[in-house]
Amino acid sequence: MDKEKGLIARYLQAVRFWLPKEQQDDIVAELAEELQSKIEERESALGRKLDEAEIAALLKQSGRPMVVASRFRPQESLIGPVLFPIYVFVLKIVALCYLLPWLLVLIGIAVWKGSAGMPGYFFSGLGTFWTLIFTSSGVVTIVFTVLERVPREKFLDDWDPRKLPTVRVSDRGQIKRSSSIAEVIANLLVVFWWLNLSWFNSLVFPVGVHVVLSPIRHYFYWGFLSVALLSIALSVTNLLQPYWTRTRSYMKLGLDIAGSGLFCWVVKARMLAEVIWPNVSAAKTAEVVAAINTNAARSFPFAVAACVLIVVLADLPRLISSRPSGSQKLNGVHVAS
Amino acid sequence: MAHGMTNGNADVFENLRLELRRGCLILAVLGTLRTEQYGYTMRKSLAEHGLAVDEGTLYPLLRRLESQGLLVSQWREEDKRNKRFYRLSADGESILEQLLAEWQGINASVNGIVGAQILNIEVEDGQGKGIDRSLLAGR
Repeated sequence: MDKEKGLIARYLQAVRFWLPKEQQDDIVAELAEELQSKIEERESALGRKLDEAEIAALLKQSGRPMVVASRFRPQESLIGPVLFPIYVFVLKIVALCYLLPWLLVLIGIAVWKGSAGMPGYFFSGLGTFWTLIFTSSGVVTIVFTVLERVPREKFLDDWDPRKLPTVRVSDRGQIKRSSSIAEVIANLLVVFWWLNLSWFNSLVFPVGVHVVLSPIRHYFYWGFLSVALLSIALSVTNLLQPYWTRTRSYMKLGLDIAGSGLFCWVVKARMLAEVIWPNVSAAKTAEVVAAINTNAARSFPFAVAACVLIVVLADLPRLISSRPSGSQKLNGVHVAS
Repeated sequence: MAHGMTNGNADVFENLRLELRRGCLILAVLGTLRTEQYGYTMRKSLAEHGLAVDEGTLYPLLRRLESQGLLVSQWREEDKRNKRFYRLSADGESILEQLLAEWQGINASVNGIVGAQILNIEVEDGQGKGIDRSLLAGR
């Protein structure tokens, strides 16, 4: 086979590779005929045979083999235009609600381990984190790829305009996303720190002073932990729907009241059980414990007043500016719902 | 690139032009195949009528139209080479008639809407060079 014919054969073979199997012979035969006709026409115009460079130029003009073959295939996509925005939305949720907390926990543990163990722990943790990224995004992609191939005429046709979310009335009650992110991060750090409170049974201070807390501490431990976890859930919801609804405003009010209530209880609950101070007599430390507990209990009314003031100032305006639950913003156009 | 266009505008124009051309090309191909032809002569014929089309567009289109039952094809030897000849099927004839009626309706509507603009282009351009005068018939 001469060089020129070899070039055409190589081109057609490359096209064939990307064609649907059952149509390969037919399409390649037709393309070969087209190329041959083109070459003959050019040769008859020039009055001579085309050389290798001219054949190459002609083939280049016909297009890259993979592109030529792709035009014979039906349009295919892993995830189509209907599901793609939902796919991206779900990936964002996974990143914010699953991967980001993991990363923060990883950083938190690395910091907690101290400077000695930090780099090693951080890098081994980073390996786990990469696996998490690929696994979670892979699972989401596979689920959407399957959904793309499931008949969904019912989903596309069976919908009711009356069930769409109501249009948001105005910009009042808007929540800054940066605030929600800050709340999530702060609460996660609190939860992380709280879960590692090995000192919660007995506080040890550098000068050798041991402070033993009352058994009632367990109620506060679980109480504050629950408030922090619920606050994270609320902040994540606020991040996805950045405006206050009635329901979420009441939830926030409830959490603020619960947090304040716990704080006031701590003040009144005589939390200190015992203080052990080297070189100081037990009688003297017992006096100190009694004095601290009594003074804390005396400050109870002030604590309640402060908490009520904070709750009223922070939660009342929020409740007033919140919107009916289920409301939505529509392209920034505020239409009365 | 069209006269006086930025690169971004030229891209937009090119996309819209291809979109506009896509439907017209189907009409032209169906019209051409009222008489039997094979791919290469069909391309030449279309090019001679001012509708040049590359093989990467034409052959997949022919296959699609055939799979939709609008064309029939057969391999036959001509000039000592095997060629695939296409022609309009009975269904293709009927669809072509309907499409031509639709095309004329759209054409008349568009002329009714933009006829005045086409007249302005013609005046600005001196002789209305490059504009199909049949487009002006609707105004």
